[in-house]
Amino acid sequence: MNYEFNWMAVLTGEYRGWIIQGLLITLKISAISIILSLLLGTIVTTLRMTKVRVLEWICLSYIEFFRNTPLLVQIFFWYFGSYVIFPDSVNQWLYAHDYEFAIGVLSLSIYTAAFIAEEIRAGIISIPKEQMESSRATGLSFMQAMSYVVLPQAFRIVIPTLISQFLNLIKNSSLVMTIGVMDLTYMTRQIESYSFRGFEAFTVATLLYIAISLIVSFFITMYNKKYLRMIRY
Amino acid sequence: MKKSIGVMASILAVFMVLCIGSVAFADALADIKAKGVLVAGVKDAVVPFGYVDEQSKQIVGFDVDICKEIASRMGVKLELKPVTSATRIPMITEGMVDIAACTMTKKVARDDVIDFSITYFMDGQKLLVKKGSGIKSYKDLAGKKVSTAKGSTSEINMRNIQPKCTVLSFEGYPEAFLALKQGKVAAETTDSVILIGIKGSDENPDKWEIVGDFFSSEPYGIGMRENESNLRDFVNKCLMDMWRDGTYKKIYDKWLGPQTKFYMPLTWEMELIPE
Repeated sequence: MNYEFNWMAVLTGEYRGWIIQGLLITLKISAISIILSLLLGTIVTTLRMTKVRVLEWICLSYIEFFRNTPLLVQIFFWYFGSYVIFPDSVNQWLYAHDYEFAIGVLSLSIYTAAFIAEEIRAGIISIPKEQMESSRATGLSFMQAMSYVVLPQAFRIVIPTLISQFLNLIKNSSLVMTIGVMDLTYMTRQIESYSFRGFEAFTVATLLYIAISLIVSFFITMYNKKYLRMIRY
Repeated sequence: MKKSIGVMASILAVFMVLCIGSVAFADALADIKAKGVLVAGVKDAVVPFGYVDEQSKQIVGFDVDICKEIASRMGVKLELKPVTSATRIPMITEGMVDIAACTMTKKVARDDVIDFSITYFMDGQKLLVKKGSGIKSYKDLAGKKVSTAKGSTSEINMRNIQPKCTVLSFEGYPEAFLALKQGKVAAETTDSVILIGIKGSDENPDKWEIVGDFFSSEPYGIGMRENESNLRDFVNKCLMDMWRDGTYKKIYDKWLGPQTKFYMPLTWEMELIPE
């Protein structure tokens, strides 16, 4: 096959604008989803550790359900299936706004939170349980003991594994293009269908994904180096 | 160690032979005849051009019958491969399909990478909306969302003609229609015949209407790999023969004739080169 590369075709003019637009959407959707999934994951784990049977059971089924179904199916489920949940007027209001983006954030967060919950639980388990017991003995409530004593230490331990979850999330965010969110992958495919320069466009997109991932892991590694040393038993 | 170098060298040699083998194309038409199989790319979710029949679970449709006819005139078997609007051109250039009859509009930009047959179907773009929605043409779509399929000309045309609307592109037309059904978009846009197919295959076709004038011209062509003149000549001759001997009309009426759910009058004529 004699394929002639034309990098300028995708790196100048309108197409460059599209790539930048898509990149910004990818960054935005990833950042919001990372924060939300971290919050949700922490809440789920905490509830699971309360030793209240019903809560434990709900959290466990949530984790198992969302960890074990494909993300693409979940995205379609939320996008096409969610209209039965709300009344029609609410739906109409939602559709008039940036509904696709919201569903993208929702499905990415819920999916990743299930993994993050398990990571954080592993971190909590690794904290000697005497710490929890002695905190309770000094009169802290369960929530106080969790938020002031156990979780801060657990987080420092699980940060390296959380990075992989965040990196997964960034890459998974490319799936939201199936519901019409104009992220980096969507724009790349659009350039391909406009110009047939798919090879160039996908190469640029791949490099951008690698760049984002490397930057994220670089910062978290720096953070680790600074804070992980402070843990002493 | 020495042994593994030997193994690697032989793997490399085999690989190189394979590479050379795949570069040394004779002639696509002769290749197809030698293989005895014509691999045709068709849509599998566009009624009535190429879709999976509920009873037989086979891909059927207008495009499929055209390919069948070409294969039988070539004297070879037909093998169908489903393609989407986004995958069809790469599949042609990579040689995964020999020909692609998949509701593909001929465009000069596409002609840079693949070759087209003569026009075998003529259509234009319209809008599908909910009955009584008040949308009469693309002008009413400012600030609204419109759904279509990724990689189609409809996507590009819609953006150009109504820059104020948001075009949401889905993997295929069924998803785009589902978005319309659920009220997520105000209209679905693509070639009118595909809209007729979508409308006709819904449970309540009366709930939907196709509105507006054509705002684009969509001449469909069969896609083939670039610079395969013998194959292209053969396909063109086939299409013209089919038009002359009435086979085309028969296939057309089977899928789009007055007795079908997808009636669309045959209003254009194939350009025939004298024999």
